[in-house]
Amino acid sequence: MSGYNTIAFDAGRCTGCGECMDACVQAKSEDGDLAHSRIRIVAGEAPDTWELAMCRQCGDPRCVQECPAAALAKNAESGVIDWNAETCVGCLLCTVGCTYGGIVWDESARHVIKCDTCGGDPACVKACGEGALKYLTTSRIYNEFGDLEDLFVPGLAGCQGCNTELLMRHTLRRVGPEVVLATPPGCVPGMGSVGYNGLTGSKVPVFHPLLTNTASMLTGIKRHYQRQGRDIVALALAGDGGAADVGFQSLSGAAERGEQILFVVIDNEGYMNTGMQRSGCTPYGAWTSTTPVGREAHGKRQDAKNLPLIMVAHRCAYVATASTAFMEDYYAKLERAIEATHRGFSYLHVYSPCTTGWRFPAQKNIEVARKAVESNFVMLWEYTPEEGLHLTRPADDPRPIEEYLEAQGKYRHLDADQIAHIRRHIDENVELIRNLCARPAASPLPARTALT
Amino acid sequence: MNATPASASLDRSAEPRDAQSKPKIMVCDGNQAAAWGVALAGVDMVAVYPITPQSSLVEYLAKFIAEGKIDAQLVDVEGEHSVLSVLQGAALAGARTYTATCGPGLAFMFEPYVRGPGMRLPMVMSIVTRDTLTPQSVWGGHQDAMSVREAGWIQMYCESVQEVLDTVVMAYRIAEHHDVMLPVNVCHDGNYLSYGAARIELPPAQSVAAFLGPKDVNWHVALDPDRPMAVDPLTGGAGGPGPRMFVNYRKSHCAGMHHALRVIEEVHRDWEAHTGHRHAGLIERYRMEDAQFAVMTLGSMTGAAKDAVDEAREAGVPVGLVKVKTYRPFPTAAVAEALAGVQALGVVDRSVDFGGGCGPMYRDALAALYRLERRIPSLSFIGGLAGADLTVEHFHRVFERTRALVGSAQGGDTVWLNEKD
Repeated sequence: MSGYNTIAFDAGRCTGCGECMDACVQAKSEDGDLAHSRIRIVAGEAPDTWELAMCRQCGDPRCVQECPAAALAKNAESGVIDWNAETCVGCLLCTVGCTYGGIVWDESARHVIKCDTCGGDPACVKACGEGALKYLTTSRIYNEFGDLEDLFVPGLAGCQGCNTELLMRHTLRRVGPEVVLATPPGCVPGMGSVGYNGLTGSKVPVFHPLLTNTASMLTGIKRHYQRQGRDIVALALAGDGGAADVGFQSLSGAAERGEQILFVVIDNEGYMNTGMQRSGCTPYGAWTSTTPVGREAHGKRQDAKNLPLIMVAHRCAYVATASTAFMEDYYAKLERAIEATHRGFSYLHVYSPCTTGWRFPAQKNIEVARKAVESNFVMLWEYTPEEGLHLTRPADDPRPIEEYLEAQGKYRHLDADQIAHIRRHIDENVELIRNLCARPAASPLPARTALT
Repeated sequence: MNATPASASLDRSAEPRDAQSKPKIMVCDGNQAAAWGVALAGVDMVAVYPITPQSSLVEYLAKFIAEGKIDAQLVDVEGEHSVLSVLQGAALAGARTYTATCGPGLAFMFEPYVRGPGMRLPMVMSIVTRDTLTPQSVWGGHQDAMSVREAGWIQMYCESVQEVLDTVVMAYRIAEHHDVMLPVNVCHDGNYLSYGAARIELPPAQSVAAFLGPKDVNWHVALDPDRPMAVDPLTGGAGGPGPRMFVNYRKSHCAGMHHALRVIEEVHRDWEAHTGHRHAGLIERYRMEDAQFAVMTLGSMTGAAKDAVDEAREAGVPVGLVKVKTYRPFPTAAVAEALAGVQALGVVDRSVDFGGGCGPMYRDALAALYRLERRIPSLSFIGGLAGADLTVEHFHRVFERTRALVGSAQGGDTVWLNEKD
């Protein structure tokens, strides 16, 4: 099944000009009255901000559930929620059900109106000069992988708003049941994936390695199955502390030996499961429970170690960084990473913000993750020994770092010097990564062009 | 025995594949004997990291695997912590495994080491015993193995090079016995057994295969997509079934140790039936029949001790010897029974129990003596630390001091044997 297309809105780019609404009424009504527009740009709570009221063509639409007359239905072909004038009784229950203001009463037309995406060629998107509206395939992952079995049980006990559970479920769906899953102590088993007191959270063979020996235990497992001729994915879902700090020796050893393991590090920049202590991946300036803020101290004094680059130095078969805000990018990398385990060690480093430990509201997780990438605080790239390193989602026009820092309570105390330090560190890192991107000789393009 | 360099080359004439039906006679040291034991045991995976005085053992293993004498995977990792971790993973996937370590390597391995018995993984690991740091030392002593004596592994100490080979093979039968399912340390003394060469008999591969039977490693706990299960989920905590489950795990572990006392004896008898090689499983009584007093020994010191007993008997001294082979589980009942008739006891340790200021086996012996109705005076002797030699003359001094206890009520302060050597 192909993915559904939908209209996406970037509030940061919207100027409230209203061109989209004009285009909609031109396309959808005869009198051009803005009251007929199926897209509405409304003023946000903060000054000069704009929000979108429009049908999201939901996957699990409330309007369809509320409708007593079966006048609304999700079109399996297009994904659009179709409204049927013949059966509509005009009860308006659908307008109550929709939280997006996506279906509304049109007084002059005497019936409800909603977006139908103009049959796949939306007029509003073409009219938007600011790039705030885009017509995108958003459900590709859902549709391609939704049919695969979720190999974790329902009801894992992650914190509210945690993206790590999302990542775990997606990863294991794709890897499939021919797997042995290692979850060293941390958030991944903490939410119950191995289980408690005789109950388990996984449908696959799963275990707690020690915090220190994940890559080594997987080595033994994988090697023995190789000896038996069985093709089984030896998969780690590990935290940054267990990978970068106390577990680094076994990780480095396994990478050096080229063990055919898929090692996924979920980086939430510290020991978040045990009470938010500092790890080697905690960034400069961050508050943690062991880098507190007081008269004599102002958060962590050192920069984070760049673990994925250290893995590149091991010349692993595949190394990539990813973010929970860019799942399609992650999926593409997961595919390559699984394939690379047939040649050697495969390493994925996924940044996953922690709502509790980083101190931001639960609903802001994706936003924080996205801002990290868009400000170059996190860079998304991939590496193979053959192709070298290249950016998969370059932020050529990055957001100011303050936007990222201000979104989190753990940076609330930063002074100007500390922010300057972080900015300098990002600049150095961007230069370093871009220099490394320029190195591979495989590309026929001039290095600079390949970057941008 | 004196230390011998570890550079002895392999005896190529004695390959197990050529030795299907007849035993081979060869001369080798204890480290090579352990490697021959591994070659006979049908091991799937060997993980190694070198450390003195174990290094030549893993060199032999690597060479045997390279030459096809052992059909196993060699995983040469970056440290002892990973050695045992790799093998635990392999065992959970069903592999029969082997490694060896000692001293600081064992200390570094401690984290996975203490975990293994609780997972009931039937693994075999040699400890080529070495004294622990600090003071800096690379020489033999039992302090490394003694430091982990309560971690839940079975620990057996060897007296001779032949016993090293035989015990490595037997250890798999013991570990994989369904009533036991515990990892086994085969301890052989650094320097004296690791490098000391002796004539040995390599049993024919056929008899060993018949003795060992089919591999049976992960029937009870597995990481296998064909049998998906969660291995070692969290237990414990107040409320709910956690504490009860945890107690059950601990109790069944103790039951496994208890069963091991029986299984070890059975396996030693069966080994003798298959190979003709006879070793005591738990303890060996040497000239104890009419002994007035006894000494207890552990490991390679027993050779010198037996010679000293023979000389003393010639001179009319009524001494007997109890050699402990199985140190964990401690064969308390067997020791108590062996000592029931003596009037004094001397216990010689090659390590220190810092909590008691005596030898660790001395404390175990006291616990056994407490079972007897009579009070028997006893002394703790500590010798052979950091490679020091325990000679026949040392044992004559042990006999003299112990005999002097006969008729007294108490023992005395710990005697440090090599203090004035």
